[in-house]
Amino acid sequence: MSCENCNCSSQANHENIFMPQEAKIIKTKMSTASEKRFWVKWADGSQAKFQPGQFLEVSLFGYGEIPIGYASSPTFKDNFEIVIRAVGRVSNALHKLQKGDSIFLRGPLGNGFPMKSLKNNDVLVVAGGIGYCPTRSLVNYILDKRDEFGEFTLFYGARSPKDRMFNNDFERFKKMDGVNVLETVDKGDESWKGNVGVITTLFHKTDKINKNTRVIICGPPIMYKFVIAETDKLGIPHSNVYVDLERRMKCGIGKCGHCQINDKYVCMDGPVFKYSELEDREEAF
Amino acid sequence: METKFINESGFQDFVGKLVESRNLVGPVAKRNKFVFGEINKYEDLRLDYDVTLLPPKKLFFPPKQDILKFYGQKGESCIDPDPQILLGVHFYDIKAIDMTDLLFRENNEDYNYLANRECTTIIGSNIQNVHDRAFFGSVGTEVEPKGHDGFLTKIEGGYVFEIITAKAKELLQFGDFQDANENQIKQAEKVNAEVLTKCSEKLNNTSAEINKKVRNSFDSKIWEKTAEDCFSCGSCNIVCPTCYCFDVQDDWYLDQETGVRARSWDGCLKEDFSEVSLGQGSIENFRETRGSRYRHRIMRKATYLNEKLGGPACVGCGRCSSVCTSDIADPVNVINQIMEE
Repeated sequence: MSCENCNCSSQANHENIFMPQEAKIIKTKMSTASEKRFWVKWADGSQAKFQPGQFLEVSLFGYGEIPIGYASSPTFKDNFEIVIRAVGRVSNALHKLQKGDSIFLRGPLGNGFPMKSLKNNDVLVVAGGIGYCPTRSLVNYILDKRDEFGEFTLFYGARSPKDRMFNNDFERFKKMDGVNVLETVDKGDESWKGNVGVITTLFHKTDKINKNTRVIICGPPIMYKFVIAETDKLGIPHSNVYVDLERRMKCGIGKCGHCQINDKYVCMDGPVFKYSELEDREEAF
Repeated sequence: METKFINESGFQDFVGKLVESRNLVGPVAKRNKFVFGEINKYEDLRLDYDVTLLPPKKLFFPPKQDILKFYGQKGESCIDPDPQILLGVHFYDIKAIDMTDLLFRENNEDYNYLANRECTTIIGSNIQNVHDRAFFGSVGTEVEPKGHDGFLTKIEGGYVFEIITAKAKELLQFGDFQDANENQIKQAEKVNAEVLTKCSEKLNNTSAEINKKVRNSFDSKIWEKTAEDCFSCGSCNIVCPTCYCFDVQDDWYLDQETGVRARSWDGCLKEDFSEVSLGQGSIENFRETRGSRYRHRIMRKATYLNEKLGGPACVGCGRCSSVCTSDIADPVNVINQIMEE
């Protein structure tokens, strides 16, 4: 039925905010036993436009949608990367996709990292496990625009050597000037010669972090408060600490309610928050 | 704003004519309760209802709503609103609709809701019978009901009809309306003012006082203690006129080639509402305890949205109080206790 009996504007074909756009998978690679990396290009040929730290709702008709952060830098515009860990119905279905298949996306969504306040400053990224993927969009951005930032340090922690992702990244970064990459694993094996221990042990292995360093944290929920205890020791103000949070961002547009932290919506107000904004919010950590 | 009057028999004819020419929805009896349902003849319309089981949000935001249909790799929007007249909405539900209008419109306009809403003419009506769990007289008194198109008040001999928008004015053609006189307008004002004093439940403080004290009571023991009896069923969310959280699921049709992406009402009281899979079988539940979920709902109603909505996200309908199996959902009970702590 049309709306001819009322004066509403619904006669127009309203855009459905939940309609995803088609993209093509141009390459895939298993990063670990459960994490698959996808290189993706918009099907209509448009360039990748997003802020580091933003995310997409990745969908497959018949299975559903999941929120996934951009894992590549927007300095590279032709295509972009996402990493999917197989944990449920949607992610397992996505894992079956190969080069040439279509994938359906809504985004970019969320706020992204505060690039203005990071520029011209020393930056530390603390990434635990799959938390490296969304921060990788920032790490690669900083390394692509090296002269716009100060000293750059990356702490990366994995559960075990076989859970390490993006090993090539780290080898490449280690050769760059003004870039410090420190890695750790929770549990080593006979092949592992590096640091063993939780990610906070890395704070004692470098003198490159100071009270003016801007800090980005992304990892499993348990990690945040321990990392912030370390940045507190260094006297880094909470307004210079940014946390990239994971929640159940089902709609990604501030409606469905699943990602609420007290009065905040992680999908709209975040996923990146200044720690000082969240410290009074009891549900954040 | 124009104000009209129509006598009792004229009103019956008016409803009869609306039924003939429009989709008319209003309060109807269902066993010993009331629901918003289709009006097919004047006798169906029960403006003497106290409260409906579900609020009128179901007309814009159905319990299960198709969002997209998919055919293999192609998605198609399901936005296809039907024009309707919603007659007989109490003022507390009008306030709630105004809130969900704002929430579905802000930041990202969601036309899955807004298209249905824009196609609806809302005519409110005064409360003739007060539900025993209602507390609309003492909650969010600073929030004016708005967003509706007209409002009917039953007075002696007929109805006073306030015309607020052109959508309501257009309905005058269906009835023998006269200009209301001063006495009739005063009578209507009196009826609507008096009903505010008739609720048996009452909040004892202002919205601002409640907002502050409840927010500062996050660590109170009252949440876990009250929620000890919570079944995490989410009934309080389902019947709430300002709850609008939803889940989204894909389903295949029988051919296994086409299907639908649909959203359905969800509730923050349900155990898995805030769960996230971390992989390797581990799950993080950001509101793990019944008390934390119970607290979140009261915080959403009494504090979190106040700034945005200009008052609390509770309108005092009393629906949650009456559906809660263990009778712990009642905001009046828990808020008054907190205010005395």
